[in-house]
Amino acid sequence: MFIINPTDAAPIWRQIEEGVRRLIAVGALKPGEPVPSVRELAQSLRVNPNTVARSYQRLTETGVLVVRRGEGTYVADRPAQAKKSERNEKLRDAAARYASTALSVGVSLEDAVTELEASFARLGGEDRRKA
Amino acid sequence: MSNAMYENAIEVRDLTVRYAKRVAVDGVSLTVPRGAVYALLGRNGAGKSSLVRCLLGEQKPQQGSVTLLGHDSWTQRAALMERVGVVSEDADAPPHMKVSELTQFCSRLYARWSQTAVDERLRRFGIAAGSRFGDLSKGQKKQVALALALAISPELLVLDDPTLGLDAVARKSLFEEVITELADRGITVLLTTHDLAGIETIADRVAIMAEGRVVVEEELEVLKSRFRRIRYIQRPVALDAGAVTTRNWGSGAEAIVSDYRDQAEERFAAAEVEPLSLEEIFIAVAGGQS
Repeated sequence: MFIINPTDAAPIWRQIEEGVRRLIAVGALKPGEPVPSVRELAQSLRVNPNTVARSYQRLTETGVLVVRRGEGTYVADRPAQAKKSERNEKLRDAAARYASTALSVGVSLEDAVTELEASFARLGGEDRRKA
Repeated sequence: MSNAMYENAIEVRDLTVRYAKRVAVDGVSLTVPRGAVYALLGRNGAGKSSLVRCLLGEQKPQQGSVTLLGHDSWTQRAALMERVGVVSEDADAPPHMKVSELTQFCSRLYARWSQTAVDERLRRFGIAAGSRFGDLSKGQKKQVALALALAISPELLVLDDPTLGLDAVARKSLFEEVITELADRGITVLLTTHDLAGIETIADRVAIMAEGRVVVEEELEVLKSRFRRIRYIQRPVALDAGAVTTRNWGSGAEAIVSDYRDQAEERFAAAEVEPLSLEEIFIAVAGGQS
């Protein structure tokens, strides 16, 4: 699944939102598949169910998830991706943090990129350059 | 008592508690919205216990009032306690009493009692009905107390330092049970705790008390968004005037600010900006002179 970091600058509902989006992006959750219920996800992440419900609501509003009445919540058949501007902004923020860490431990850009690639592979992201 | 609609599960208005000349609670007002998980934090002696006692109608405040589920907690205590589950700090019972005897005893005190719910929870916790209370571990005692508190399907659950003295496994199971209640029934939870890491993902609103007063009262998310640690490589001429705490090291400096809005603020140029955990915020706000 994914891990919630309470000391992350991003609020927990956003971490859940990003976690679900990531699971969809790497194919761990496929279009049309059910997602865990609010209760189950709250239990396994040990977070307030209201927070999970809030994330699910946002994911539903943005067309990533769909609610089928009386059945549960599912990944949309064609889940919407985050807006490009939003994606770029998030990446820039994360990159700034990563660059700061890399500089503070004194590694080269090359080594930093190698680590990034390894993480990408580990999390199941495909390397689009080679595709 | 009627199950009247109420917007806020708890409303504390201008509450003052004095012991002789010592002021334990000093004009405190706070509101716990229905359905919230509200964490009341403070160092020992900050006034939490007095506040909780007034809340539960166990103590009459010198001034002010507490409204619980729409009713005055002092004058309506007996009726209110049918709808409020409490796990007290030192969950205790006669040591020779069997768990089954204890639940039977408690069942007679409440009109709204579900023995099935108690049995189910005890089974989940792995506590045999025949075991004597005195033979249980601290964690098991708390689990029994929680099972009893939830047997009346309370609208409000008050947990007074529920994880005190519990190991990691017992803590986890206790929080899981609370999460289940939240998901299934949408109850309101008020808790006091020293286990700030444990509640960081569960609480949605936080009050911090210091010396009898509430010094912080807001949504946890908002609280966390406005606190940051700033590390300056080169100490600025005027180290942030609004900082909560500041510290110099070498030619650099560190400050904790409580009014952070945006990484792009000028005062953060050439500085590292880092979010704080609830525990770090608590120490910055309530740490004071230790």
